[in-house]
Amino acid sequence: MAEGTIALLSFVLTLMVFSYVLGDLPLLGHLYRTAVYIFVGMSAAFATIVAYESVILPYLQDIQNPETSWTALGNSADVAIFVTALLFGLLLLLKPIASLSWLTNSALAVVIVVSAATAVVGGLSGTLIPLIVATAAVPDGLATDFQALTDTLLVFVGTMTALFYFQWQARRDDDGAPVQSPISRGIRNSGKIFIVTALGAIYATTMLTALTILAERIGFVFQFGS
Amino acid sequence: MSRSQRLGIAFSAFIAFAVGVITTLSLLLGGRPELYADFAGAPVFARLMSLPAAIMVRLVAITAAVTIVIGISNLLYVHMGRVVRGAFFSIVMIASFALTIWWYWSKQGDTSLLAAVQVPIESALAALLFLSMVQGGARVLAKRADIWGALFVTVLVVVLLGSLPIESLAPVRAWSDWLMEIPVSAGARAILLGIALGTVVTGVRVLLGQDRSYRG
Repeated sequence: MAEGTIALLSFVLTLMVFSYVLGDLPLLGHLYRTAVYIFVGMSAAFATIVAYESVILPYLQDIQNPETSWTALGNSADVAIFVTALLFGLLLLLKPIASLSWLTNSALAVVIVVSAATAVVGGLSGTLIPLIVATAAVPDGLATDFQALTDTLLVFVGTMTALFYFQWQARRDDDGAPVQSPISRGIRNSGKIFIVTALGAIYATTMLTALTILAERIGFVFQFGS
Repeated sequence: MSRSQRLGIAFSAFIAFAVGVITTLSLLLGGRPELYADFAGAPVFARLMSLPAAIMVRLVAITAAVTIVIGISNLLYVHMGRVVRGAFFSIVMIASFALTIWWYWSKQGDTSLLAAVQVPIESALAALLFLSMVQGGARVLAKRADIWGALFVTVLVVVLLGSLPIESLAPVRAWSDWLMEIPVSAGARAILLGIALGTVVTGVRVLLGQDRSYRG
């Protein structure tokens, strides 16, 4: 596609999306929705292309070549796995048939359980253990540097109190209403300070990213218009 | 519930448990020869241990790709039904889908349509996000006029001002840097730890059969 056509399409579509700012006017409202539906159709098409070209096609090519085997079990094992995967996909189509739903559920069970196993191992080795180690780590020269000591302690206390905030504990009073102990409430409030601060900063950085993109889009519209 | 349905559920649960245990053990113990240091054939054994997980993950990857295609087929099927009734936006959606597929195949993988249509719409939508976020920030102050709302907006303003390249705002930038380094780091770590703990607990519940959402 020619550079000029790409720029013209970009210009028109950007204005169509920006028409959202003008509100739900009879014709202008349709422009925004048209752009969104074009986006949905194109995203679905590219998702199909990626699913086919990046996942299904490589395996298909692999099983057609008897000399290669990614399982190291031989080409026939690769073919069996590929056919099983396609069968799993097709079994999902049997969901509306109640008497055969156990077949669909078995295929779904394998998908969910393998995803859960990957998530558990990934969560443990990729997030949980490294974060705990990083939080509990004592930097070098901490005894001589008071500022570093204070900062390290603050991060540690902040992480612990913020984690405590996620756990809601209370006992019941004589009327059966839940009552928090003053210590628990104090720790929770300390944790809330850190969580609200983190959320505020994350919100601000997201705003900055969106502002950069907005400036780039407005710049493009003016540049193309002139 | 009939006997065959109960057997079906038991079969699904058994398959789930067996596959889950094998995959977890394979992921934990496979591909790490250092775990079997005293064993002569450690590299071969470690590779063999990682095989079940590799097979299962690939099986699920292909199944996921097939389910994406099935899901998109369903989306098209629903909109086809609306096209018959003359819904304009469904016609736009299906035309956009068909044009993209036709363009990609006829132009031998040319992705210029992505640069001309997809990227500008995505960028413009991301730009609109800024306006929504400003509105959201103002609503926090209006609807949640307490200490937490004030703290949220204060941090927001400090971080935004701290990002400006203005010399006179150097003290605000120093404060913003300190905020990002200490309290934000602590809060973000706690949020990430919470997410990881939730993922692990939910995953273990699924693996042990306590959470059987696949029963449908």
